[in-house]
Amino acid sequence: MGIAGIAMLAAGLVVGWTTPALAQGQEAQQPASSPPGAPAEYKAVFTRYCFTCHNDRLKTADLILSEANVDNPSATGAVWEKVVGKLRGRWMPPMGMPRPDDATYEALLKYLVAELDSAAVAHPNPGRTATAHRLNRAEYTNAVRDLLAINVDTEPLLPADDSGGFDNFGDLLTVSPSLMEKYISAAGRISRLAVGDTTLSADVANYTISPLLLQNDRMNEDLPFGSRGGTSVEHYFPLDGDYVLKVRLQRTDNEGYVVGIAEPHLLDFRLDGERVKLFRVGGDHRGRSQGAGAADAVPPDYREAEYERNADAGLEVRFPAKAGQRLIQVSFLQEDFAPETPFEFRSGGTYEETRLEDTKERAWVDPAVSSITLTGPFDVQGAGDTPSRKKIFLCRPSGSSDEPSCARRILSSLARSAYRRPVTNDDVAPLLALYEKGRGESGNFESGIQMAVEGLLVSTEFLFRIERDPANLPPDTAYPVSDLELASRLSFFLWSSIPDDELLTLAEQGKLRQPAVLERQVQRMFRDPRAQALVDNFTGQWLFLRNVPDAHPNRDVFAEFDESLRESFVQETKLFLRSIFREDRSVLDLLRADYTYLNERLALHYGIDGVYGNKFRRVQLADENRHGLLGQGGILTITALANRTSPVARGKWVLENLLASPPPPPPANIPPLREKADDGKVLSMRQQMEMHRASPACAVCHTRMDPIGFALENFDAVGKWRTTDVGIPIDASGVTPDGSKFEGPDGLRQALLSRPELLVNAAAAKLLTYALGRPIEYYDAPAVRKIMREAAPSEYRWSSIVLGIVNSTPFQMRRSKSL
Amino acid sequence: MMIFHKAIPRRTFLRGLGAAIALPWLDSMVPAFAAQSDVAAQSPLRLGFVYVPNGIIRETWLPATAGAQFEATPVLNEWTPFRDQMIVLSGMDGGPQFVGGHVRGSSMWLTGAEPKQSMNDVHSGVSVDQVVARQFGKDTQLESLELCIENAAELAGQSAGGYSAAYTNTIAWRTPTLPLPMEHRPRAVFERLFGDGDSTDPAARIARLRKQRSILDFVSQDVSRVMAGLGQSDQGKLTEFLESIRGVETRVQKAEAQASKELPQVERPIGIPEYEEHVKLLFDLLHLAYQTDLTRVSTFMLAREYSELVYTQIGHTEPHHPLTHHRGIPVRMKQAGEVNQYHAKLFAYFLDKMKSTQEAGGSLLDHSMLIYGAGMGDADIHNQWNLPIAFFGGANGQVKGGRHIQSPKGTPLSNLHVAVLELAGIPTEKFGLSNGKIDLRASA
Repeated sequence: MGIAGIAMLAAGLVVGWTTPALAQGQEAQQPASSPPGAPAEYKAVFTRYCFTCHNDRLKTADLILSEANVDNPSATGAVWEKVVGKLRGRWMPPMGMPRPDDATYEALLKYLVAELDSAAVAHPNPGRTATAHRLNRAEYTNAVRDLLAINVDTEPLLPADDSGGFDNFGDLLTVSPSLMEKYISAAGRISRLAVGDTTLSADVANYTISPLLLQNDRMNEDLPFGSRGGTSVEHYFPLDGDYVLKVRLQRTDNEGYVVGIAEPHLLDFRLDGERVKLFRVGGDHRGRSQGAGAADAVPPDYREAEYERNADAGLEVRFPAKAGQRLIQVSFLQEDFAPETPFEFRSGGTYEETRLEDTKERAWVDPAVSSITLTGPFDVQGAGDTPSRKKIFLCRPSGSSDEPSCARRILSSLARSAYRRPVTNDDVAPLLALYEKGRGESGNFESGIQMAVEGLLVSTEFLFRIERDPANLPPDTAYPVSDLELASRLSFFLWSSIPDDELLTLAEQGKLRQPAVLERQVQRMFRDPRAQALVDNFTGQWLFLRNVPDAHPNRDVFAEFDESLRESFVQETKLFLRSIFREDRSVLDLLRADYTYLNERLALHYGIDGVYGNKFRRVQLADENRHGLLGQGGILTITALANRTSPVARGKWVLENLLASPPPPPPANIPPLREKADDGKVLSMRQQMEMHRASPACAVCHTRMDPIGFALENFDAVGKWRTTDVGIPIDASGVTPDGSKFEGPDGLRQALLSRPELLVNAAAAKLLTYALGRPIEYYDAPAVRKIMREAAPSEYRWSSIVLGIVNSTPFQMRRSKSL
Repeated sequence: MMIFHKAIPRRTFLRGLGAAIALPWLDSMVPAFAAQSDVAAQSPLRLGFVYVPNGIIRETWLPATAGAQFEATPVLNEWTPFRDQMIVLSGMDGGPQFVGGHVRGSSMWLTGAEPKQSMNDVHSGVSVDQVVARQFGKDTQLESLELCIENAAELAGQSAGGYSAAYTNTIAWRTPTLPLPMEHRPRAVFERLFGDGDSTDPAARIARLRKQRSILDFVSQDVSRVMAGLGQSDQGKLTEFLESIRGVETRVQKAEAQASKELPQVERPIGIPEYEEHVKLLFDLLHLAYQTDLTRVSTFMLAREYSELVYTQIGHTEPHHPLTHHRGIPVRMKQAGEVNQYHAKLFAYFLDKMKSTQEAGGSLLDHSMLIYGAGMGDADIHNQWNLPIAFFGGANGQVKGGRHIQSPKGTPLSNLHVAVLELAGIPTEKFGLSNGKIDLRASA
């Protein structure tokens, strides 16, 4: 659907200022001017429809509209912005109460928005970001990567950060002594790895594979063609030297017998694609298999048992490796290339569970890798020639007299990147003092540099983004942030990392605020691979995708759910979102995209033919019910309970994340759902919910949440299509607050897309929240509307939303501290 | 004292802190060193809190009889060997209102303070363990140890209901605005205790500590320089940073004092094992920390509040949290109770280690106050009434176990904290919601 499609959708619906924005293009760039009509008339409408509840006596929802001034909405902006949200979504007056006609809704919206927006132009309130904003773990990781050219897995080094919706809120990023210890310890480890400290002792890295991940095919693109099972990992080899790889195979749960070793198999170990060793495993002993054999009342065969326990003992090799990040590939050679047969599920568990438990069969199935362990380095040959060392050692002292000047050059360059600003002698002197200390204690130039880098990684201006009020500014005054602060805002927004040289240089030269320069930088950064951070960190949290790895579908009910399916869910949505950003698509494509990314396993789950193998590829979706995010298994699973769907959770997810209209938290003492009617008849989920909703206290919110969830009832709790629930045909019909009916997932999508401004508003507000690293407030609403207006001509492409955010008042400016 | 002056040269990095903060810090050095020599005389008192989420099914744990003759319930059965050092506590409420909820359950457990509903910041109260940690921590390398099992902060969207996830991810609050993150990785716990080497070799530890001092010296000067450029009122987060640096400096100093001590030979753990092994491994490390006097205060969440863990190892397929919304259905109550029993059994593993470790004057358990329990009374309906709590240990002879203290309805849980503070030698008039004190004394 192109621009024509959007216009068509918009034509029928008419909401607030969005319609003029869409219909009139350029005019939409300006805040809409006040329409004819007197505030007294608006007041009459509010009196008639709203004051019944929102008066100073009832104070419903703590909102007293009768006292808020309609003549001058910006005087009580917090109140009227709330009203704008309710009117835009048609959430109020509640269903069943008298409500104005659509034209009146619009006239009110138009008036309020025009007033609020023009007040925002006249008196910008950018809000106040944290003065000292600690980098969160993701930002720290990326900053280290961009500063020292090294990919460090910081998950073992640092704790995850607390989140208030996003984990980059300045006020929630606290510091404690134990966190400080971790920063110090991480700085020590990272600096030694980056510099290549040849005194590093051998360390152990262990990579495990879930036993519930099927290893019946080539596992990923990094493994050789014709391989089966195993895994590939990017491992950082700190030094040139010897390392030991050990592979452990899967065992049966209880007895610990290696699975699949009745016949010989070939296990291939490669480093960066080059074979290091081909192991032969299995088939060396053909006795009577053990384990459940005891139940068969036959005498045990101890030698066989011994063999089955230790068959993988020889899967160990010592090999030399050059320092740096290298790809380790461990996989079995595919023994035959017989056409794949669809796997069968057996009762009482997944394929994999059955396989591991069924001792009779375990010897004859295919073996699978359980973990690989790397130990090293041994016999260190040297620090090697890693990207980190190239980046750090800009110069090499030819003699001890050169050392101080070379150290100064190295540390000045690193400090500029780390501090995100030009550095002075005063900045470099303490680092040089650390260098001297490291140099003196060990008598080695490189260890001196290492010590200074260690200090740099715990320095205040590396760990914190600091924004300073200009001197002598009155309190509570809006001011533009400095060019350097803007550069950091940009890079942490789009890359979750520090500015690169180009961006920093422009800021240093004072050119970053030139509109053309700024736009070019935004476009460049948005297209840079580092912008993957938006998918990982922004959408991961906005859409709760980070929860997919922790979903717990009940296996008694959903036997088909295993790690392979879970992994596929994660991959599908990740690849989908990446394509949305990479191709700079419209925000609306989140819901209307007619493609997704599937492998065989997921295609099977969705009932789609013609997709073979583990490789993910882009697939056109014929079934409109599967279009967009609402058809994706990961999202449908995290919004369900373990054993059943939850229309409430799905409704809430849509309201909160796609419509920016979260329902209030549930009250205490919620009566439980009834699984059976009074006459003992089993009730469908929808019937249970409808009984629940009969209570007026519950109905207020549930009339908003449930219809959305009901429309998705055709998807079970792991996102599989169904037409019945406990034998009762699915009723997937629903109705929106303004009374329009819809049916099924596709109907819901169409209903949501018929009010595109709601989805775009939610996306823009969430992205602005993430960009600022603080919750957005009522005074940010005019900025969100401006972002939407400016993005409308491009059909709400992500790059235009991003550019709108960068140009917005809260992103460009800051409010000085209150008294 | 003279001996220590000789053994530990005056630390240069102190000067970098500037006069204003060096002074109170110097004060704390004195008791630290004095206590070292006193340790031999009497074994120190330890404090530990172990938290289980989603309440405990009342039928599974609460005995009907008060006093010494209380009958054993399925949960209490797991602790039979420790009955004479156990006090079952009932009748205490975590919060005043009927509306409990998970957030209030965990955040009020040790603070008695109402959590602030906000997505932007957090506000609770100082937790009782941290009050004690400030005092006991003067004598140990680590003031306290915060442990957990679930890497909970990874989960997105937990902050539903308008509360930060911090409230359900930790029970330890350093200040009302500083929740202490809990550590779930055994390796990281090991490194906090013994440094990030592979061995506990004293020479290597001392060399590492010396280097850490130089780094700390650098960063404390660095933060002072940055703070000087900011307005006085605008330094909040950096003050926190500076205080954290000071905290680490104190730790380094204590570590130096202890570096020459013989430590048990322990291997650095690798990876994160399955639940049961994970819990036991962290209990092992905690036990070791108590035994070697590296810390005297700990908190441990066997799972985060709200936990959705599935206990497949005891045959469950449904997560813990939904099970506790059992709606009175017997099979669900039974399963939820099985989780409670399972947790109790794992705690018994720890109690056994504490009881069987002897030191001067008795066992580690004799010299401990270990409090086990949950922050919800009835998780099915989210209330904080009649919380399940059990107290273990002799508190250095101050406490007599083997009984069930039934408090009058409406007694605040904070009354227990007042008692704990008193036993810890920190007499306190009022803590959290307290309106009195539970009498745990041996004479009672």
